[in-house]
Amino acid sequence: MTDLSHTPPRRRLRLLTADGLLSAYTWAFLVFMFLPLLLMILSSFNDTSPPSVTEWQGFTTKWYTFFWMPEETLRADPVLRSLDRDRFVSCFGNSLYVAAMVVPLSLLLGLAGAVLLTRWRSRANSALWWVLLSPMLAPGIVLGLSALVFWSRLGVDAGLFTIVMAQTTFIAGYPMLILMARLQRQPVELEEAALDLGATPFRVFRRLTLPYLAPALASAAVIALMASMENYNTTMFAKGGACTFATEIGAMARNPNGHPPVINAVGTVIIALTVAGALLHTFLSRREQGR
Amino acid sequence: MRGKDVTLDSVSITYPNGFTAVEPTDLVVEAGEFFSILGPSGCGKTTILRAVSGFIEPSAGRVLIGGEDMAGSGPNARPTALIFQNLALFPLMPVWENVAFGLEARGIGKKARREKAQELLDLVALGDQGDKLPSELSGGQRQRVAIARALAVEPAVLLLDEPLSALDLKLRQHMRAELRAIQKKTGVTFIYITHDQGEALTMSDRIAVMNNGVIEQVGTGDEIYSHPRTAFAASFVGETNRFEGRIADVEAGMAQIETPLGRFRARNPDQLEPGSEAMLFVRPEAMRIGGDENRFEAHLVRRDLEGAFLNLFFDARGTEIAVHVTNDGHAPELHDAAPMPLGFAAAQAVILPRGALARTGQELAAQ
Repeated sequence: MTDLSHTPPRRRLRLLTADGLLSAYTWAFLVFMFLPLLLMILSSFNDTSPPSVTEWQGFTTKWYTFFWMPEETLRADPVLRSLDRDRFVSCFGNSLYVAAMVVPLSLLLGLAGAVLLTRWRSRANSALWWVLLSPMLAPGIVLGLSALVFWSRLGVDAGLFTIVMAQTTFIAGYPMLILMARLQRQPVELEEAALDLGATPFRVFRRLTLPYLAPALASAAVIALMASMENYNTTMFAKGGACTFATEIGAMARNPNGHPPVINAVGTVIIALTVAGALLHTFLSRREQGR
Repeated sequence: MRGKDVTLDSVSITYPNGFTAVEPTDLVVEAGEFFSILGPSGCGKTTILRAVSGFIEPSAGRVLIGGEDMAGSGPNARPTALIFQNLALFPLMPVWENVAFGLEARGIGKKARREKAQELLDLVALGDQGDKLPSELSGGQRQRVAIARALAVEPAVLLLDEPLSALDLKLRQHMRAELRAIQKKTGVTFIYITHDQGEALTMSDRIAVMNNGVIEQVGTGDEIYSHPRTAFAASFVGETNRFEGRIADVEAGMAQIETPLGRFRARNPDQLEPGSEAMLFVRPEAMRIGGDENRFEAHLVRRDLEGAFLNLFFDARGTEIAVHVTNDGHAPELHDAAPMPLGFAAAQAVILPRGALARTGQELAAQ
C-alpha cells in the first residue's frame, strides 16, 4: 500500500482509486481462480448427486471411501451402485503404466535433444529447434490422430502402446526445454577442462553433465508425469479400446444425469497432492539454501 | 615431472568467419621454462594457447611438443594441462575429487587417487581442505586447487590463461611468487598468458610481446623493458615518453633524430637510414631534470605522489613528458612554473621505426 500522509489531496484521491482498482482486480482474479475449486471441494463432502453446494444434504466421505468400501456397502448405495469401480481402478492402473513408459522415454529424448541443441553449434540448429518443439505446439488431436493412423498402417492396433507413442511425441518437449535452460547455464569451460584432463566425452557426460542436470531431470520427470496423467485429447484419439484415468473421468463427466461426486473427490485429492508436493519442494529447497 | 619444449612451426590460425587471429608464427619455448605471452585483449594470445592445448587445430603450420607433431591429437591426448581464466573447477565434486579427476580418467583406483590428490594438495598448502566443495574455498584457495588439478596429470606443459585476473591485488602479487615457486619445484614448462606486464615481468624467464596476431618481440623481461625492438613493445611494456621525427644523421650504432623539440641522439638498433620516419622512446625514470646529453625545455604541470617515487608531468610545447624521480626532497614543486631544462642520455633512449603503438589509458577509457 502507498503511504499517502504526505500527498496533496487531489493526487491522493487518484492514487486511492488506482490502488482500489488494483486490489479489486486482484480479488476478482483470485475468486475466478479459486472459487470453482472451493465449490468442488465442498461438494465432494455433500451427500447428494449430482454434486451441489446449494442443497446441503449432510456431510459424507463416501465419495472418497467409494474406492475401498466393501462390496455390500457399495451395492446398498443408489448412486455408487451404478458406477463400475473395477473399470475405474483398472483405467487408473493403465495411466500409471503409460506414465511409467512415457516419463523415461521423454527424459531420454528430451536430454538428447537438449544436449544436441546446446552443444552442437550448427546452422541447422534453429530449424532443428522448431522440428523438435513442433509437437508441443501442434493440436493434441492431430498428434493423437496421426499416431493412430501411423501405427495402424504398421499393423499395430490402437491401445496403450499407441497412447505411449502419441504422448511421448509432445511430452518429450518439456524435459528438453527444462534441460536446455540448465545446460545453457553450465560454462563450457567445465567440459573443456575435463576433456583437457584426459577424460573421454562419455566420462565428461557421466561425471559432469549428468550430475549437474540431476535437479532439472527430477523436475522434468515430475512435469512429464503430470502431463502424461492428465492428458486427455491426444490420448482420446490414440486409445482405441483402452482407457486411462483422464479418459475415464471424461466419460463419467459426460453422464447426462450429471456426474457423480466421486469425480469431485478425485479432484480434491489431486489438489491436496499438488499442494503437498509444492510445500515439500519449498521446504526442501529452503533447507538446501540454509545449508 | 619433466617439462617438454613447445615449438610453433609457421603456425597461423584463421577462424571460419575469415578472421585471422594468429599470423604465421614461429616460436620455441624451452623445456622447463616459465614463458609468458603478453599482449592486449584480442591480440591472439589465447588462440595460441588453445592451439597448443588442442582445442583448436592451426589453419597452417605445426604444433610440436617435445619434438612430436600434435596434429590430430585432441586435448585429452596431449601432454598439456590448461588452467582456465575462470578456473573451471567442478562445482559438485569435493576438492580432492577435482584434483584426482585426471587420474580417474586414466583408470587409477580410488585409494591411489586419494593419496596422489593429498600429495598435490599438500604441495599447494591445502592439505586439510580436500573434503570441502570448491564453493567453500576462498579465491586464492580455488586458484591453488586448479593448479593442483592440472599438475595431477603430470603434464609436460602447463598452460595458464590469465588465471590471476579475478583476484585482489595483494593476493595476485602473492600468487605470482607461488606460481613461480611451483614451476621451479616441478620443472614443468609453463606457458602463461597475460595482459598484465607486471605479472609477465616478475614471473617469466622469457616473454613474447604480441599484438594483432603477431609476436613482436621475444626476450627476457630485462631485454624487453630496456631494449624494445618495436614501437608497440616499447609503448606496451612499461611507461615511456615518445618523440616522433625523421632521422637526420647516423653513426656507429647511434642516430640523430630531428623532432619538434630539437635534435636528439639515441641508440639505433635497426640501423635506420637518414630521412626515415622514426620514433624515439625514453623511459620516465631515465629522464633527468637539469638536462643531459640531449636536452629541451619544459614546465611542470602535474606532480603525483606515489610514496617513494614522484611522477612529474611536464609540458614541452604541447607534448606531455613523464618524469619519475625518487622522493628525496629535491624534486621541483608545482609553483616552480618557469620552464626548466630536461634531458636524457643517448644510451638510455632508443630510436625505432614508426609503428603501431599500444593504446594509452585515455584511449582505452574512451572506448
